[in-house]
Amino acid sequence: MTTPGNDYIKPELMACCGSREIEDNDLVIIGTGFPTMSANIAKHIHAPNATMMQESGVIDAQPKRTALSVGDPCLNPGAAMIGGLVEIMGMFLQAGWVDVGFLSGSQVDKYGNINTTVIGDYDHPKSRLPGSGGANPIGAMAKKTLIIALHDKRRLAEKVDFITTPGYIDGPGSREKWGLPPNTGPQVLITNKAVLRFDSDTCEAYLESFHPGNSIEEILDATPWELKVADDVHETEPPTSAELKIIREVLDPGRMISIYEKKGYV
Amino acid sequence: MNKVMTAREAISTHVKSGDFLFIGGYICRSPFSAIHEIIRQGINDLTITRSNAADDFDMLIGAGCVKRFIATFLSLGVYGLGRCYRRSLEKGIPHKIEVEEYSNLSLPMMFLAGAMGMPFVPVKDMLGSDLLNVKSFMGENKFKLIDSPFDGKPTLLVPALNPDVGIIHVQQADESGNAQIWGIGGDCQYGANASKKVIVFCERLVSRETIGKDPSRTIVPAPKVVAVVEEPFGAHPGYTPGFYDTDFGFGYLYQQASNTEAGFKDFLKEWVFDLEDRTAYTEHYIKKLGYQTFTKLQAEFDYGYPVSYAY
Repeated sequence: MTTPGNDYIKPELMACCGSREIEDNDLVIIGTGFPTMSANIAKHIHAPNATMMQESGVIDAQPKRTALSVGDPCLNPGAAMIGGLVEIMGMFLQAGWVDVGFLSGSQVDKYGNINTTVIGDYDHPKSRLPGSGGANPIGAMAKKTLIIALHDKRRLAEKVDFITTPGYIDGPGSREKWGLPPNTGPQVLITNKAVLRFDSDTCEAYLESFHPGNSIEEILDATPWELKVADDVHETEPPTSAELKIIREVLDPGRMISIYEKKGYV
Repeated sequence: MNKVMTAREAISTHVKSGDFLFIGGYICRSPFSAIHEIIRQGINDLTITRSNAADDFDMLIGAGCVKRFIATFLSLGVYGLGRCYRRSLEKGIPHKIEVEEYSNLSLPMMFLAGAMGMPFVPVKDMLGSDLLNVKSFMGENKFKLIDSPFDGKPTLLVPALNPDVGIIHVQQADESGNAQIWGIGGDCQYGANASKKVIVFCERLVSRETIGKDPSRTIVPAPKVVAVVEEPFGAHPGYTPGFYDTDFGFGYLYQQASNTEAGFKDFLKEWVFDLEDRTAYTEHYIKKLGYQTFTKLQAEFDYGYPVSYAY
């Protein structure tokens, strides 16, 4: 089963890392791209009873093509239920039903706080980004938040310019202080070089595994904070042949995932 | 009561400069026809709102119609950041709009509260984030953080919103305004019902009898509606389930055009100002991009199971 495919690309490996965080019977809120891919791999490999939903209002969509947005037309026919934002974000997420949320950020810091609002000063932005959308409530209330980011000193930060979505905020006790629901928060930060997990005492992201071809030294160098390394740090398990088969033959025969290589996920 | 009129009449009669507008849609059923009409009529100083805004809001902002935006998000989806939105906030072109930021939980809940006649609503998001550290035109009324009178826990209250006008695009409506949708809802239902009056754009006008064959699909009933506009292809380049697909090619065309201020102006001239209505728009689309491109967008039919309400 674990024959490493030599020809996998980084985005496929990252999608598999996301997939492995999803357990059977999980309710998962997904966006497009990596999250969709990860959740679908999980459903085919080890979590057949996971249920996916999109914030726009869809539960258990049966898309016949790759959805390019969370409001994509292909999410409509065949879904189990379609409502709107109040139903998904309120009746499921705020009500505490969502197990996994999947977010990406233009900037992510060591506590898993995510910035998708602004680079630079808020009132005089260097670069104005889209804003929260569903990210803030997902990061606040999903039991496990999985974060995807590029691993360099611009995308990762000691402290983000703007906390759009709370991770562990200022560190231990912060989520509790703000009254965010217990047992929620960032679970893992999946980058193009490594998998970082969050320490339960310090709330800081530490290096759990390095992707094949990426050295620990290179990863430490590309991280803007003093990255702690797990005692049992190891190489990330490459995509299994079963995972690759699902990705290439079932989920993404057109290899759309390769566009992430152009976005720097190499 | 027959409320059917043209887009021009509906917008000129019911929308005026300075109004607060809810404009529904979530890529699904964007009321583009209304957006173009607002721009054509030079209506400005608007406050606009919706969760997850896209190219239609970007266009209104670029065209200078907007003063204030109660926002959660604005992007062009697969085509990246909203160019006009960025130019407004980063460079003040055509002017800097004021933005009050919430999230895709809190804003829909503010519409829900508005629709239900509640003064405010508690929400569990935004806590611990910088969304609580930035306040714009709503000032101290953006939110209130209190200790819950029930258990003492920090509780965030956000105010109800009641826009002056709600504008939505739906699959079908009758002449008095009973409006029916199917497919992704976004914040359409509560946003429209929170509004003081509603303008309904529809793909097809149907009889009151047709509405009655499946009344559970009605999201806004006639008493709230002041105008009904039959506007086939009216959500393009967004989509309408059962009618036509998202036009990704056109989305790219908009992104390329809106990359520069000059390109955006040319786009507005070609696709808004030089066309008198949606019919002219559709004709221009077919002439410019080909009938095949147009027909390729049209949905196949896959009728659902008919429901029976009989007893």
